[in-house]
Amino acid sequence: MGELRAALAIARKDIRGFSRYRVAVASTVFTPLYQFIIPAFLFGAAFAVNGRQAGLSATLGTEDLPGFIFLGGLVGGLISIAFWGIAFSLRSEMDMGTLEPSWLTPTHHETFVIGRALGSMFWFVLSQAALFAFGIWLLGLRLRAEMLLALPALVLAVFAMVGIAYLLAAVVLLIREANFFVDTMQFAVGTMSGTAFPVTLLPGVLQPIALALPTTYAIDILRSQALGSRPLFDTGLEYVVLVLLTALTYPLGRWAFARAERTMRRRGMLAQY
Amino acid sequence: MNLLAADLRAFVAAARKELRQQRRYPTLFLGLLFWPVLLPASWVLMGHAYSGNDPAALAAFAERAGSPDVAGFVFVGYAMYMWLSSLLWGSGTALRQEQMRGSLEAVFVTPASRLVPLFGPGVAMLIPMSLTFVIMGVALWAFFGVVPPLAAVLQAAVVVITGVPALYAIGTLFAASVLRFGEVGPVVQLVRGMFVLACGITFPVAMLPLWAQVWAWLMPPTYIVEDLRRILLRGANLADVGPHIAIVLTIAALIALLAVFVFRALETSARRSGMLGRF
Repeated sequence: MGELRAALAIARKDIRGFSRYRVAVASTVFTPLYQFIIPAFLFGAAFAVNGRQAGLSATLGTEDLPGFIFLGGLVGGLISIAFWGIAFSLRSEMDMGTLEPSWLTPTHHETFVIGRALGSMFWFVLSQAALFAFGIWLLGLRLRAEMLLALPALVLAVFAMVGIAYLLAAVVLLIREANFFVDTMQFAVGTMSGTAFPVTLLPGVLQPIALALPTTYAIDILRSQALGSRPLFDTGLEYVVLVLLTALTYPLGRWAFARAERTMRRRGMLAQY
Repeated sequence: MNLLAADLRAFVAAARKELRQQRRYPTLFLGLLFWPVLLPASWVLMGHAYSGNDPAALAAFAERAGSPDVAGFVFVGYAMYMWLSSLLWGSGTALRQEQMRGSLEAVFVTPASRLVPLFGPGVAMLIPMSLTFVIMGVALWAFFGVVPPLAAVLQAAVVVITGVPALYAIGTLFAASVLRFGEVGPVVQLVRGMFVLACGITFPVAMLPLWAQVWAWLMPPTYIVEDLRRILLRGANLADVGPHIAIVLTIAALIALLAVFVFRALETSARRSGMLGRF
């Protein structure tokens, strides 16, 4: 109970801190719009024949361009949270010199990651609501009841991403300059999960990596159940793999985080950056 | 030594200082190998997903983009994106970095012209930018087999060189705003976003609504990207894009004048309000 209170307090602190930077808050909506959603929509629309997405239909079995983009962006947002909102924020705390005092409190160090995940989820839900509203209003995005069928896949993806966030936090705490690492890894994981295009289009050498990522299955299940797109494998099998990967990722992340923490305490690296 | 020669020396020194700083942080150059290749490559794969290799879809794209070559179209657009990014994050924020380090006031009390710290850092961005273009060209050839003719590449280089003053002026105008706003990171995102949406970086300008197309054609990057695509992908020559080059140079001169004017006005205001040392 005490840990839950601590996690909520950390989340509240993060939400309050971030809300002070209004331009940064606005950019959680604006940046995905200009970097991905609008350009991807107009790029895709440039291939339309008589208003129909024949090419996308040939690739995926659905003509729903806005749905394809927004659902990819939804999981892309989750990946971004794991990398920047959770893992990198520990680094920021280190830079500000507040990591040591925080870790001297009786709260479990893993709880800090959970608290940050909760705080990031708050902004994630708000920004996705704004983005979906924009999509419905201007880009012809249609929400269907069948989308709810994909909710379990999304919940599993959230748990898997918290596990990956632990893993990343371990790396971020150990390396000196984490910005480039986080930036490139976020792009690589997002791209290889199929946020922007199906993983079948990746070069052959990258496809095994893509199939080892839980987010690949989450996106595929989401798109197949919400848009009726052709799944990579049978949806039931994808659920089994997603559950297995999530079950593997979470303890692996916790273990890596605990190891990194022990290393840092032994070497006195907590205040070094 | 007359004043002009002294300012010229200070200008070269400012550029050398920036180059030396870049050399001290070699990990920053890792990004030069990663982003110019993988960002456009992912958009080319998106193009494959959207086209589904359907001849009708590819023909529709060719009609709107002016070229059926999706990979070439995307890589040229992204070359401009990389240029704008390094311009806005590099020379566009140079004054801000001086401010953060606490050296802006020290620089401003030297007898060198104020225009030296304003325009000097931009020169240092030309080397990484040239490297980026070369890396993107090699990636386009190695991964997608697109090799424009040598004559077209040389003519494209002329378009890039004539575009430098315009982009340089945009970066300088942006840099001047630091004296008014201080923290410009979010503004960089906003301005870059505006260029990405308006200048046909990843999609044809023809896809924009008419009012947005009017705005697009007021921005020099739109002309530069369009001219590069015409030369590299559609077989046009310098004479064909001559009118566009004239427009870009004219806009560059206007923006440079505006940058100097804005900088002088903001500097006067910053000295009165004591904003120079605040951040």
